[in-house]
Amino acid sequence: MTQGVLLFAFNNEQIDYLAMAAWSARNIRRHLNLPTCVVTNVVDMPAGYQFDQVVAVDLPPTEQTRYFKDYKGVGAWHNKNRSNAYELSPWDHTLVLDVDFVVATNQLNVLFDIDQDFLAHRWAYDVSGFPAFHDNNWFGTYKMPMSWATIMCFRRSKKAELIFNTMQMIRDNWLHYRQLYQVSEHTFRNDYALSIAMNLVDGHTLSTPSIPWQLASVTPETKLIQIDPDTYKIQYESADSKSKWMLLTQDFHAMGKQALGAIVANPC
Amino acid sequence: MPILAERGYLIPAVNTETVDYVACAEQLADSIRQWHPAANITILTKEMLPHGDLGGYANDWQCFAASPYRQTIKLEADMYAATPIDHWWTLFEKRDVVISQGCKGLYNEPSDNRTYRRLFDENRLPDLYNAVTYWRLSSTAKEFFELVRSIFENWNRFKTLLKFPDESATTDVVYAMAAVIMGVDAVTLPPGTGPQITHMKRGIIPTMTDDWTRELVWESTDPGLRIHTVAQSGLVHYHNKDWRIA
Repeated sequence: MTQGVLLFAFNNEQIDYLAMAAWSARNIRRHLNLPTCVVTNVVDMPAGYQFDQVVAVDLPPTEQTRYFKDYKGVGAWHNKNRSNAYELSPWDHTLVLDVDFVVATNQLNVLFDIDQDFLAHRWAYDVSGFPAFHDNNWFGTYKMPMSWATIMCFRRSKKAELIFNTMQMIRDNWLHYRQLYQVSEHTFRNDYALSIAMNLVDGHTLSTPSIPWQLASVTPETKLIQIDPDTYKIQYESADSKSKWMLLTQDFHAMGKQALGAIVANPC
Repeated sequence: MPILAERGYLIPAVNTETVDYVACAEQLADSIRQWHPAANITILTKEMLPHGDLGGYANDWQCFAASPYRQTIKLEADMYAATPIDHWWTLFEKRDVVISQGCKGLYNEPSDNRTYRRLFDENRLPDLYNAVTYWRLSSTAKEFFELVRSIFENWNRFKTLLKFPDESATTDVVYAMAAVIMGVDAVTLPPGTGPQITHMKRGIIPTMTDDWTRELVWESTDPGLRIHTVAQSGLVHYHNKDWRIA
């Protein structure tokens, strides 16, 4: 059974997602020893970017923008073809990773040993311990449980195909689902589509198996710097307004693109 | 009441000026029969109460004498069976009395909201819900319901034992006090073991208003019930007593 990691990279005015993907691919190769495939609209691949495969696609049609807290500005957000991962992946067993997910260990290899057709995170947490982040584990007025699309591990199977097809249906009818789940944000998020799709596919029981650990997250408000290739330092203000720092030697979701962009531009 | 069967569900339903509990009970009975067509179900109406209508909650202790079953699961009328429930018999049958503990929200997760349970917390009473109560004919069950009767009939004295008591006795509080007197372990299963009702009260579920039936999408799946697209399990305590699925 072939295995690999699928990355999606569509640059906007502020963020060089392709550079992040190339940096992530190096980490993936070092720690997971897996091939990578990037899905992108960039035609001329910069020298030094090493992906095992490149799937060239058009920029996903979208007029969608989002506010990037760390850039303090609005930018285009081309996130609408993540649900095409099933047909775009060249492998039998695929790990889809956000390019802002920092691979610093080989922990993700465990997912390939779990006998499930589809896995994603149910729970995310702020590594700085900020309690309000916990609310992000639900969405909409009525607090529907969230499944995070940051990491999706799937096997070629009826179930995985159904989940991705359902995500596409939700994406294509987002206004309906947004109203149904009373989501106040206009922005379509793959996390929402995945959460709704998982509930539908599993017979509305919210009983889908999930990744057996929580998604470590570093928020845009947290200062992030790289100490050595696999050690990062975060500085943050704690809930009791004290300035604190800690070292991270684990995988994590770097939600602040500006800080990650700076690391990618000048890696250790 | 003569014993008619080994096991059965008893649904007390005494109408008030504002609530048609009999209609609620019939809906609950129908929903149970969708899953268990052969289930024994008795709707206990006002005329069937051995000591007559004593008014509201105070009728509860009469259920023990009124049940025609050797083993009874008493259910509050304003509930709906969203999935099979007869596996509870196996869970209960080795006990004399089992009262359900805790409740859950619409995503089938145990609720930690204490908005409606401050009296219990302030008085360190067990978090009991009489909505699902099992007993078998036994001296323990007899003693329990005699105690329940005594607390209802002497509420003015019993309430002095509590901080912030309600003016009138309510069944959950009375059951909790009786459980403390008899020993909580004697009338409950270990926490997390037994059934929990889905409590559709604002505060437990994240609705903006008291009437969830107008706020959330709900669907009959015949049999079964989805609320906010999520399949419900066990008994849904719908709270809004006018809600009818058909």
